[in-house]
Amino acid sequence: MMSFLDRLFEQKARGVAQSSSRRGMLKKLGGALAGVAAVPLLPVARADHHGGPAPAKPQEQGSDTDCDYWRYCAIDGFLCSCCGGSANSCPPGTEMSPVTWIGTCHNPADGRNYVISYNDCCGKSSCGACLCQRDEGDRPPYRPDKTNDINWCLGTASATYHCSAAVVVGVAFAE
Amino acid sequence: MITLALRQCAIALLSLSVVPLALSASAAEVNEARALYHYQMFCQGCHTPDGSGNGDIPALKDFMGHFMNTDQGRAFLVRVPGSATSKLDDQELAEVLNWCLAEFAGVSLPVQGYAPYSAAEVSVLRAEPLEEIEQHRAAVLLDIVKQRQQPAL
Repeated sequence: MMSFLDRLFEQKARGVAQSSSRRGMLKKLGGALAGVAAVPLLPVARADHHGGPAPAKPQEQGSDTDCDYWRYCAIDGFLCSCCGGSANSCPPGTEMSPVTWIGTCHNPADGRNYVISYNDCCGKSSCGACLCQRDEGDRPPYRPDKTNDINWCLGTASATYHCSAAVVVGVAFAE
Repeated sequence: MITLALRQCAIALLSLSVVPLALSASAAEVNEARALYHYQMFCQGCHTPDGSGNGDIPALKDFMGHFMNTDQGRAFLVRVPGSATSKLDDQELAEVLNWCLAEFAGVSLPVQGYAPYSAAEVSVLRAEPLEEIEQHRAAVLLDIVKQRQQPAL
Protein backbone atom coordinates (compact mmCIF):
# COMPACT_ATOMS: atom_id res chain seq x y z
CA MET A 1 0.00 0.00 0.00
CA MET A 2 2.72 2.46 1.02
CA SER A 3 4.78 1.67 -2.04
CA PHE A 4 1.72 2.24 -4.21
CA LEU A 5 1.18 5.68 -2.63
CA ASP A 6 4.89 6.48 -2.96
CA ARG A 7 4.77 5.66 -6.67
CA LEU A 8 1.58 7.61 -7.18
CA PHE A 9 2.90 10.75 -5.50
CA GLU A 10 6.25 10.45 -7.23
CA GLN A 11 4.55 10.23 -10.63
CA LYS A 12 2.32 13.19 -9.94
CA ALA A 13 5.14 15.25 -8.46
CA ARG A 14 7.28 14.56 -11.53
CA GLY A 15 4.34 15.50 -13.74
CA VAL A 16 3.91 18.81 -11.97
CA ALA A 17 7.63 19.49 -12.06
CA GLN A 18 7.76 18.85 -15.82
CA SER A 19 4.82 21.07 -16.67
CA SER A 20 5.33 24.02 -14.34
CA SER A 21 8.02 26.24 -12.89
CA ARG A 22 8.54 27.51 -9.35
CA ARG A 23 8.53 31.05 -10.63
CA GLY A 24 5.26 30.50 -12.49
CA MET A 25 3.64 29.06 -9.40
CA LEU A 26 4.83 32.00 -7.32
CA LYS A 27 3.35 34.38 -9.88
CA LYS A 28 -0.03 32.65 -9.82
CA LEU A 29 -0.04 32.40 -6.07
CA GLY A 30 0.77 36.10 -5.81
CA GLY A 31 -2.10 36.97 -8.13
CA ALA A 32 -4.48 34.88 -6.09
CA LEU A 33 -3.34 36.46 -2.83
CA ALA A 34 -3.72 39.95 -4.29
CA GLY A 35 -7.27 39.06 -5.28
CA VAL A 36 -8.07 37.81 -1.81
CA ALA A 37 -6.61 40.98 -0.32
CA ALA A 38 -8.81 43.12 -2.56
CA VAL A 39 -12.07 41.41 -1.65
CA PRO A 40 -12.65 43.43 1.54
CA LEU A 41 -12.49 46.61 -0.55
CA LEU A 42 -15.50 45.67 -2.66
CA PRO A 43 -18.41 48.09 -2.53
CA VAL A 44 -20.61 45.67 -0.64
CA ALA A 45 -23.85 46.74 0.97
CA ARG A 46 -23.45 47.78 4.55
CA ALA A 47 -27.11 48.09 5.36
CA ASP A 48 -26.71 46.50 8.75
CA HIS A 49 -25.13 49.56 10.28
CA HIS A 50 -26.93 52.54 8.86
CA GLY A 51 -25.25 55.73 9.81
CA GLY A 52 -22.01 54.01 10.72
CA PRO A 53 -20.81 53.28 14.21
CA ALA A 54 -22.70 54.66 17.16
CA PRO A 55 -21.71 58.29 17.65
CA ALA A 56 -19.20 59.00 20.37
CA LYS A 57 -20.85 60.31 23.46
CA PRO A 58 -19.89 63.92 24.10
CA GLN A 59 -18.70 65.10 27.46
CA GLU A 60 -21.33 67.40 28.87
CA GLN A 61 -20.80 70.79 30.36
CA GLY A 62 -23.39 73.45 31.17
CA SER A 63 -27.15 73.33 31.39
CA ASP A 64 -29.40 72.49 28.47
CA THR A 65 -31.85 75.17 29.65
CA ASP A 66 -29.27 77.90 28.97
CA CYS A 67 -29.05 79.45 25.54
CA ASP A 68 -25.26 79.29 25.68
CA TYR A 69 -25.28 75.50 26.08
CA TRP A 70 -22.85 74.16 23.50
CA ARG A 71 -25.36 72.23 21.38
CA TYR A 72 -27.42 75.34 20.71
CA CYS A 73 -24.77 77.11 18.63
CA ALA A 74 -27.00 77.26 15.59
CA ILE A 75 -30.48 77.20 17.10
CA ASP A 76 -33.28 79.68 16.54
CA GLY A 77 -36.35 79.00 18.64
CA PHE A 78 -37.71 78.03 22.03
CA LEU A 79 -35.65 75.48 23.94
CA CYS A 80 -37.58 72.25 24.46
CA SER A 81 -35.67 71.73 27.70
CA CYS A 82 -37.60 74.73 29.09
CA CYS A 83 -40.93 73.45 27.75
CA GLY A 84 -41.25 70.02 29.37
CA GLY A 85 -38.86 68.20 27.04
CA SER A 86 -35.08 68.12 26.83
CA ALA A 87 -32.31 68.82 24.37
CA ASN A 88 -32.98 65.34 22.93
CA SER A 89 -36.74 64.99 23.29
CA CYS A 90 -40.00 66.77 22.70
CA PRO A 91 -42.45 67.81 25.41
CA PRO A 92 -45.49 65.55 25.90
CA GLY A 93 -48.22 66.19 23.37
CA THR A 94 -45.85 67.25 20.59
CA GLU A 95 -44.29 65.32 17.73
CA MET A 96 -40.64 65.53 16.67
CA SER A 97 -40.19 66.47 13.05
CA PRO A 98 -38.24 63.82 11.11
CA VAL A 99 -37.11 66.52 8.69
CA THR A 100 -34.46 68.72 10.23
CA TRP A 101 -31.72 71.15 9.61
CA ILE A 102 -28.26 70.07 10.55
CA GLY A 103 -25.12 71.91 11.58
CA THR A 104 -22.03 71.47 13.67
CA CYS A 105 -21.16 72.77 17.13
CA HIS A 106 -17.91 72.81 19.04
CA ASN A 107 -18.05 71.13 22.45
CA PRO A 108 -15.63 72.96 24.76
CA ALA A 109 -15.76 70.12 27.30
CA ASP A 110 -13.99 67.62 25.04
CA GLY A 111 -12.70 69.91 22.31
CA ARG A 112 -14.51 68.07 19.51
CA ASN A 113 -16.96 69.27 16.89
CA TYR A 114 -20.25 67.40 16.68
CA VAL A 115 -22.96 67.15 14.06
CA ILE A 116 -26.18 68.47 15.58
CA SER A 117 -29.69 67.88 14.26
CA TYR A 118 -32.14 70.64 15.13
CA ASN A 119 -35.46 68.87 15.33
CA ASP A 120 -38.53 71.02 15.79
CA CYS A 121 -41.28 69.72 18.05
CA CYS A 122 -44.69 70.26 16.57
CA GLY A 123 -48.38 70.00 17.34
CA LYS A 124 -48.89 72.65 20.01
CA SER A 125 -48.70 76.42 19.89
CA SER A 126 -45.35 78.09 20.53
CA CYS A 127 -43.88 77.27 23.92
CA GLY A 128 -42.78 80.85 24.55
CA ALA A 129 -40.05 79.97 27.07
CA CYS A 130 -36.28 80.31 26.65
CA LEU A 131 -36.15 81.91 23.23
CA CYS A 132 -32.65 81.30 21.93
CA GLN A 133 -31.16 82.60 18.71
CA ARG A 134 -27.48 81.95 18.01
CA ASP A 135 -27.39 81.19 14.29
CA GLU A 136 -23.82 79.89 13.83
CA GLY A 137 -23.64 78.56 10.30
CA ASP A 138 -27.14 79.77 9.51
CA ARG A 139 -27.57 80.60 5.85
CA PRO A 140 -30.25 82.56 3.98
CA PRO A 141 -33.32 80.66 2.78
CA TYR A 142 -31.85 80.26 -0.69
CA ARG A 143 -29.85 77.48 0.97
CA PRO A 144 -32.91 75.86 2.52
CA ASP A 145 -31.05 72.93 4.06
CA LYS A 146 -28.88 75.34 6.03
CA THR A 147 -31.34 77.92 7.27
CA ASN A 148 -33.11 78.07 10.58
CA ASP A 149 -35.51 80.78 9.46
CA ILE A 150 -38.14 78.36 8.20
CA ASN A 151 -40.62 76.22 10.07
CA TRP A 152 -39.12 72.74 10.14
CA CYS A 153 -42.40 71.08 11.17
CA LEU A 154 -42.31 69.01 8.00
CA GLY A 155 -43.48 65.44 7.84
CA THR A 156 -45.43 65.81 11.06
CA ALA A 157 -49.19 65.56 11.57
CA SER A 158 -49.28 69.23 12.51
CA ALA A 159 -47.16 72.05 11.14
CA THR A 160 -47.61 74.12 14.30
CA TYR A 161 -44.21 74.91 15.84
CA HIS A 162 -43.74 74.45 19.58
CA CYS A 163 -40.00 74.30 20.40
CA SER A 164 -36.62 73.04 19.16
CA ALA A 165 -34.44 70.14 20.30
CA ALA A 166 -30.75 69.71 19.52
CA VAL A 167 -29.80 66.07 19.02
CA VAL A 168 -26.19 64.90 18.66
CA VAL A 169 -25.87 62.93 15.42
CA GLY A 170 -22.17 62.17 15.48
CA VAL A 171 -18.67 63.55 15.53
CA ALA A 172 -17.84 65.94 12.71
CA PHE A 173 -15.27 64.71 10.20
CA ALA A 174 -12.06 66.71 10.46
CA GLU A 175 -11.55 68.01 6.92
CA MET B 1 -4.57 14.84 -13.54
CA ILE B 2 -3.24 16.68 -10.54
CA THR B 3 -1.31 18.99 -12.86
CA LEU B 4 -4.48 19.79 -14.75
CA ALA B 5 -6.36 20.36 -11.52
CA LEU B 6 -3.61 22.64 -10.24
CA ARG B 7 -3.68 24.61 -13.47
CA GLN B 8 -7.46 25.00 -13.38
CA CYS B 9 -7.31 25.99 -9.74
CA ALA B 10 -4.65 28.59 -10.45
CA ILE B 11 -6.66 30.01 -13.36
CA ALA B 12 -9.79 30.19 -11.21
CA LEU B 13 -7.92 31.97 -8.43
CA LEU B 14 -6.40 34.37 -10.91
CA SER B 15 -9.82 35.12 -12.38
CA LEU B 16 -11.19 35.81 -8.93
CA SER B 17 -8.32 38.11 -8.20
CA VAL B 18 -8.79 40.26 -11.30
CA VAL B 19 -12.47 41.17 -10.74
CA PRO B 20 -12.12 42.56 -7.23
CA LEU B 21 -9.12 44.63 -8.25
CA ALA B 22 -11.09 46.22 -11.08
CA LEU B 23 -14.08 47.08 -8.91
CA SER B 24 -12.10 48.20 -5.92
CA ALA B 25 -10.29 50.93 -7.80
CA SER B 26 -13.27 53.24 -7.34
CA ALA B 27 -14.56 51.72 -4.13
CA ALA B 28 -11.25 52.41 -2.47
CA GLU B 29 -11.83 56.12 -3.06
CA VAL B 30 -14.77 56.18 -0.64
CA ASN B 31 -13.68 57.48 2.73
CA GLU B 32 -16.46 56.07 4.92
CA ALA B 33 -16.15 58.64 7.70
CA ARG B 34 -16.08 61.58 5.30
CA ALA B 35 -18.96 60.23 3.22
CA LEU B 36 -21.07 59.65 6.33
CA TYR B 37 -20.33 63.17 7.55
CA HIS B 38 -21.32 64.68 4.22
CA TYR B 39 -24.48 62.60 4.17
CA GLN B 40 -25.33 63.82 7.66
CA MET B 41 -24.61 67.44 6.79
CA PHE B 42 -26.21 67.68 3.38
CA CYS B 43 -28.69 64.82 2.91
CA GLN B 44 -29.87 63.36 6.18
CA GLY B 45 -31.92 66.38 7.24
CA CYS B 46 -34.51 65.47 4.61
CA HIS B 47 -33.78 61.87 3.63
CA THR B 48 -33.54 60.83 7.33
CA PRO B 49 -30.67 58.92 8.96
CA ASP B 50 -31.47 55.55 7.39
CA GLY B 51 -32.41 56.94 3.99
CA SER B 52 -36.05 55.98 4.31
CA GLY B 53 -37.31 59.49 3.49
CA ASN B 54 -40.56 60.90 4.73
CA GLY B 55 -43.83 61.82 3.07
CA ASP B 56 -42.99 63.81 -0.05
CA ILE B 57 -39.28 63.19 0.44
CA PRO B 58 -38.31 60.16 -1.63
CA ALA B 59 -36.77 57.12 0.00
CA LEU B 60 -33.20 56.25 -0.90
CA LYS B 61 -33.48 53.01 1.02
CA ASP B 62 -34.09 49.97 -1.17
CA PHE B 63 -35.01 52.25 -4.06
CA MET B 64 -32.24 54.52 -5.35
CA GLY B 65 -30.49 51.59 -7.03
CA HIS B 66 -33.25 51.41 -9.65
CA PHE B 67 -31.87 54.61 -11.16
CA MET B 68 -28.60 52.86 -11.96
CA ASN B 69 -30.32 50.86 -14.70
CA THR B 70 -30.23 53.67 -17.28
CA ASP B 71 -28.05 56.62 -18.20
CA GLN B 72 -30.96 58.97 -17.55
CA GLY B 73 -31.42 57.39 -14.15
CA ARG B 74 -27.75 57.81 -13.25
CA ALA B 75 -27.98 61.41 -14.37
CA PHE B 76 -31.10 62.00 -12.28
CA LEU B 77 -29.37 61.23 -8.98
CA VAL B 78 -26.75 63.87 -9.77
CA ARG B 79 -29.03 66.48 -11.34
CA VAL B 80 -31.56 66.72 -8.50
CA PRO B 81 -30.97 70.07 -6.79
CA GLY B 82 -29.92 68.52 -3.49
CA SER B 83 -26.98 66.95 -5.32
CA ALA B 84 -26.27 69.33 -8.18
CA THR B 85 -26.33 72.56 -6.16
CA SER B 86 -24.80 71.26 -2.94
CA LYS B 87 -21.58 72.83 -1.74
CA LEU B 88 -19.79 69.49 -2.10
CA ASP B 89 -17.17 69.45 -4.84
CA ASP B 90 -17.35 66.88 -7.63
CA GLN B 91 -15.18 64.32 -5.87
CA GLU B 92 -17.08 64.65 -2.61
CA LEU B 93 -20.44 64.41 -4.36
CA ALA B 94 -19.37 61.30 -6.28
CA GLU B 95 -18.14 59.82 -3.02
CA VAL B 96 -21.33 60.46 -1.06
CA LEU B 97 -23.48 59.14 -3.92
CA ASN B 98 -21.39 55.95 -4.09
CA TRP B 99 -21.59 55.64 -0.32
CA CYS B 100 -25.39 56.06 -0.40
CA LEU B 101 -25.69 53.38 -3.08
CA ALA B 102 -23.62 50.93 -1.04
CA GLU B 103 -25.34 51.86 2.21
CA PHE B 104 -28.96 52.26 1.25
CA ALA B 105 -29.81 50.93 -2.22
CA GLY B 106 -29.89 47.28 -1.12
CA VAL B 107 -32.19 45.10 -3.20
CA SER B 108 -32.87 47.87 -5.71
CA LEU B 109 -29.37 47.71 -7.21
CA PRO B 110 -29.10 46.17 -10.69
CA VAL B 111 -28.34 42.47 -10.49
CA GLN B 112 -25.75 42.89 -13.23
CA GLY B 113 -23.85 45.42 -11.10
CA TYR B 114 -23.14 49.06 -11.76
CA ALA B 115 -20.26 51.42 -12.26
CA PRO B 116 -19.69 53.82 -9.35
CA TYR B 117 -19.83 57.54 -10.08
CA SER B 118 -16.62 59.34 -10.88
CA ALA B 119 -15.87 62.98 -10.19
CA ALA B 120 -15.63 63.59 -13.94
CA GLU B 121 -19.10 62.14 -14.58
CA VAL B 122 -20.60 64.11 -11.72
CA SER B 123 -18.97 67.31 -12.95
CA VAL B 124 -20.68 67.07 -16.33
CA LEU B 125 -24.08 66.00 -15.02
CA ARG B 126 -24.44 68.53 -12.21
CA ALA B 127 -23.94 71.39 -14.67
CA GLU B 128 -27.58 70.91 -15.65
CA PRO B 129 -29.67 70.86 -12.46
CA LEU B 130 -33.24 69.69 -12.88
CA GLU B 131 -36.16 72.07 -12.56
CA GLU B 132 -39.28 69.98 -13.14
CA ILE B 133 -38.06 67.31 -10.80
CA GLU B 134 -41.19 65.28 -10.13
CA GLN B 135 -42.17 65.00 -13.79
CA HIS B 136 -38.63 64.12 -14.79
CA ARG B 137 -38.39 61.50 -12.06
CA ALA B 138 -41.63 59.89 -13.16
CA ALA B 139 -40.44 59.78 -16.78
CA VAL B 140 -37.10 58.25 -15.82
CA LEU B 141 -38.74 55.55 -13.73
CA LEU B 142 -41.24 54.79 -16.48
CA ASP B 143 -38.38 54.24 -18.92
CA ILE B 144 -36.72 51.87 -16.47
CA VAL B 145 -39.94 49.88 -16.08
CA LYS B 146 -40.39 49.70 -19.88
CA GLN B 147 -36.82 48.57 -20.34
CA ARG B 148 -37.35 45.74 -17.89
CA GLN B 149 -40.48 44.60 -19.69
CA GLN B 150 -38.65 44.23 -22.99
CA PRO B 151 -37.79 40.60 -23.74
CA ALA B 152 -34.12 39.77 -23.67
CA LEU B 153 -32.55 39.68 -27.13
